[in-house]
Amino acid sequence: MLTRARRLPHYRYILLGMFAVAGAIYVVAPLAVVVLNSFSSVAYSVFPPEGYSLRWYVNLFEQQDFYLAAVRSVVLALIATAIAMTVGTMAAYSIVRYRRPWANLVKASLLSPIVLPNIVLGVAVFMFFIRTGAYGTYFSLVVTHVVVILPFVTAVLTAALANYDWSLQEAAMDLGAGPLRTFFKITMPQISVSIIISSLFAFVISFDQVETTLFLVRAGDNTLPIEMFLYLQKWQDPTIAALSSVLIAFALVIVVVLSLVMRNKDLEATLLQQDRETDK
Amino acid sequence: MQPARAPFRRSSAPWFLLLPAFLVMAYAFVLPMLVFFRYSVYTYERGKLIDEFSLDTYREFLTDPYFHTIIFDTLKVASITTLCSVLVGYPLAYALWRVKSAAAKRWLGLIIFSPILVSVVVRSYGWTVLLADQGPINWFLQMVLGFPEPIRLVFNLTGVVISLTHVFLPFVVFPIYSTMTRLDPTLREAAMDLGAGWWTTFRRVTFPLTLPGLLAGAQICFTLSLGAFVTPSLLGGGRVIVLPLQVFTATSDINWPLAAVGGIALLILAMLTVILSNRLLRFSEV
Repeated sequence: MLTRARRLPHYRYILLGMFAVAGAIYVVAPLAVVVLNSFSSVAYSVFPPEGYSLRWYVNLFEQQDFYLAAVRSVVLALIATAIAMTVGTMAAYSIVRYRRPWANLVKASLLSPIVLPNIVLGVAVFMFFIRTGAYGTYFSLVVTHVVVILPFVTAVLTAALANYDWSLQEAAMDLGAGPLRTFFKITMPQISVSIIISSLFAFVISFDQVETTLFLVRAGDNTLPIEMFLYLQKWQDPTIAALSSVLIAFALVIVVVLSLVMRNKDLEATLLQQDRETDK
Repeated sequence: MQPARAPFRRSSAPWFLLLPAFLVMAYAFVLPMLVFFRYSVYTYERGKLIDEFSLDTYREFLTDPYFHTIIFDTLKVASITTLCSVLVGYPLAYALWRVKSAAAKRWLGLIIFSPILVSVVVRSYGWTVLLADQGPINWFLQMVLGFPEPIRLVFNLTGVVISLTHVFLPFVVFPIYSTMTRLDPTLREAAMDLGAGWWTTFRRVTFPLTLPGLLAGAQICFTLSLGAFVTPSLLGGGRVIVLPLQVFTATSDINWPLAAVGGIALLILAMLTVILSNRLLRFSEV
C-alpha cells in the first residue's frame, strides 16, 4: 500500500489532497475576509477593497463600550470557569473514585444539560430569575454560565480520572499524605493536560456565550459577544471587522501558547483518549 | 484517622463532593426548567400573563400553519446543515487520517479545529461579508466565471446553511477522525492482501467501521443546528424563522407561554434526535 503510493501518486490521493486544501480554504475564508475588511477605507463592504486604512481600528479604540464589554466578558468567564472547574473536579472525582452503583446515573444527570439547546436554558433561567427576584444580579449570570460549562468539564475530567492509575493515590495515602495533599501533589499533575484543555474550553464557551447571556444582562452591562451581536443588528461597518480581527489574533495567541505548553505532551492522544472514554 | 469515624467519612465523602454540583444544577437548571414548563400552561390574554391553567398555547402551536412552517424550516435547516457537514467533514477527517507528513497533519488539524476558539458572532459576520452581493464570492462568480448578476447568497436559507456548516464542522470531523484512529490497520491490510481494491476496502471495511463516528458527528451537528440562534438571526435576514428565533421573539413580546411551548418543541426535537441516533448507533455497531 505504502510502496504503491510512493511509486505513483494515485489520482485518489491527488483528489483527496485537493479536497483537503479546499476544506482548509473554506474554514479559513470567513476569518481571512474579516481581517481584510478591517483594513478597508470605506464604511461598506466591497470586494476587492477600494482602499486601505486603519480608521476602523482608531474608531474601535475610541469606543469605550467594546472595551468595557470585553473586560466584563473576561472577568465573567474567569469566575465561571474557576467555579465550574472546582465543582466539576469534585463531582468527577466522586463519580470515578468511589464507583458506587449510582455513579452512572449521577454522571448522566450532570451531563444532561448538553441535550438542552442553550436558548431554552436562557429563557428558562430568565423566567425563573424574574419570578424569584434574582434577575439582574451578577450571581444569576455567573451560576447560569457555570451550568452551561459544567457538563463539558465533568465529561472531560471523569474520562481523565477513569484513565488515571489510582494505585499512585493509594501509595501516597499509605505513605501518610492527607487526601487533599494527595490530590494536589499526585492526582492533579497526572491529569493536568485534561485540566488545561477543559478549563480552556470552559473559558471559551463562557466568553462566547450569547444565547443565555442575552436574556440576563441589562442594557448597560452587555458582555462582548452580546455587544457585537446587537451592534451587527444595527450597523455593518468595519468597526466590527476590526474588533473581530483583534479577537482572531487572541485566538491565534491561544493556539500558539497551547502548542508550546503542550509541546512535550501528546495533546492529540489525550483528546482522542477522552473521546474513547466518553463513548463507553 | 480515628477508626470509629472512618466508615461514616467514607460513606459521606462521595455525597459531600457531589453536593456543590447538585446545588448549582438544581438552582440554575432543574428549578428554571420546572418554572419554564409551568409557564407553558399559563393563559396569555391581550399582552398579560394570567395564572390560569390552559392548553390554548399548545393548541395554537399545533394547529396554526405559521408554526408548522417554523418547525418545518427548523428541521430543514438542521437536516441540510447536517448533510453538508458530513459530506465535507468525512473526507476532511479521512484526509487528516491518511496524510503521511506529520507537519501537514498538524497544520490541517490546527486549521480544522482552531476556529472553535473564535466567537460564532465573528464567524457569522465573516460569512455575511464573504457572501454579500458585493463580496468576494460574487466578485469571483461575476469577474472570473462571467455571471451576469450577483447571486443572492446571504439573508436566506443558503447563507444560513453555509455558515452553520462552517460553525459545526469541527464537531463532525472530531468523532469521525477519532473512530478512524481507533481502526485496526491489520483489517485493511488483510482486505488488500486478499485482493480487494481500495474502493472495495473502503466500502466493505473502512466505511462500516467508521460509521459510528459519522453517526455521532451527525447527531451532534443536528442537535446543535436545531438550537442555533446567532447564525440564523445574522444570516437569515428575518426570512429564515427557526424555533430559537421564535422563542426569542415570543420572550421579548412577553408572550411567555408561547416561548415556553416553542422551547418545549425544540427540546422534544433535540431529545428525539438523540434517542433516534442512539438506536442507529447501536444498529451500526453490530
